[in-house]
Amino acid sequence: MRKGKFWLVYLLLAAAQMLLCNYVHLSAYLFISILPVMVLCISTRVPTWVTMIIAFLTGLAVDLLSEGIVGLNVLALVPVAFVRKEVIRLIFGDELFARKEDFAMRKNGFGKVALAIFLVQALYLGIYIWADGAGTRPLAFNAIRFGISLAAGWIVSLLIVDILAPDTRK
Amino acid sequence: MQKERKFLPRLISAAIFILMEIAALQMLSRNAELQRLWLARAAHGVMGTVWGSTQTVANYFNLHRINEDLARENFELREKLESYRNEAHAFRVDSMGIAHGRVQGFDYIPAEVVKISRNKQHNYMILNKGFEDGVQEKSGIITRSGVVGIIDAVSAHYSYAFSFQNSDISISGRLGDEGATGLLTWDGVSSDGAILQEVPLQYKYAVGDTVYTSGHSLMFPSDIPLGVAGEARVINGATNEIKVHLFQDFTAIRYVTVVHNTALDEVEEFGL
Repeated sequence: MRKGKFWLVYLLLAAAQMLLCNYVHLSAYLFISILPVMVLCISTRVPTWVTMIIAFLTGLAVDLLSEGIVGLNVLALVPVAFVRKEVIRLIFGDELFARKEDFAMRKNGFGKVALAIFLVQALYLGIYIWADGAGTRPLAFNAIRFGISLAAGWIVSLLIVDILAPDTRK
Repeated sequence: MQKERKFLPRLISAAIFILMEIAALQMLSRNAELQRLWLARAAHGVMGTVWGSTQTVANYFNLHRINEDLARENFELREKLESYRNEAHAFRVDSMGIAHGRVQGFDYIPAEVVKISRNKQHNYMILNKGFEDGVQEKSGIITRSGVVGIIDAVSAHYSYAFSFQNSDISISGRLGDEGATGLLTWDGVSSDGAILQEVPLQYKYAVGDTVYTSGHSLMFPSDIPLGVAGEARVINGATNEIKVHLFQDFTAIRYVTVVHNTALDEVEEFGL
């Protein structure tokens, strides 16, 4: 994907996340977020520190422009950016970095992409739900919320991953 | 060089990550009361743990000074106890109703064991006090748990002593308050075992009776508790040999008191 197109899609999805946060309140147990997969799909050629700044700004924008607590998405999203390359290396191997390529569903397989999304989504939701509860909610509530949100977020992320990381092979 | 190239960006990333997370936590605590209380509670917990740990470390480094203070206090209490004991002796009357005068006077000097051997048959110890501190040869060494040795030689600042765990050392011990006396020697095997020898058969005792210094050896004050009596066996049909479980654990000796009988030279003039 051309650089400009990726960032345009990225901005549109960030706006979609804001809309999700503001208008979609299905249940206290359900929190849908596509921010982790957006950060995961940033090109592997972008240095980690730059990715972290992008994640910071994205999280801050969503926090400020939606009904959330300012700082909550930032707190949960920056760690995703921090471990992103290690997750990619762990699941897709070093070849991706050696060839300076990005991962894609058709190229690397559904299983690997799904696993990568699952890991970053779990990390993000773990921090988000833990900080959102602030030690006041019972563990069972947090666990159920985590499970349902992880499943929902994972499915939605799988649906949009092809838009963010399409197969560029001719 | 390659490693350094990889290490530096990771270090920068880690630093940026920490800064961003701190900024996020700061934003959280400023914008949500619940999160502010939660973070404050977590911060107090961390601070408490950190300060508790540093205090523990500081206490550990103060232990040496505290031990020295305790040893000094122990020594002063021992001196007071000895003066009371001497006064009690002065008013003691025998079965004939005759009052006895002061029996013995002892000088007490606190010291620290700087070296000790425990795995030989002729064990020794070196103390950090010498003749400039008032330590003299043929002085006894005691702790609050019993007798631990006898000074053999002194230099200006150090003393060489035979440990009680030395097969050449024996001290005079007494069974109970008024019981029979015998020679107490190390059993040569255990760190807290001794044998009270040459106890006449006619004297009865019970297992568990306390063994004290008798005061007959001139090097040690009387009535220092040494241990408890155990089983006995008859030797040559004439005397009992009684096992004694010592109070003193020789594996943990550090602070001791040197005792010197002020009348020792005068008594030795008799050439006994």
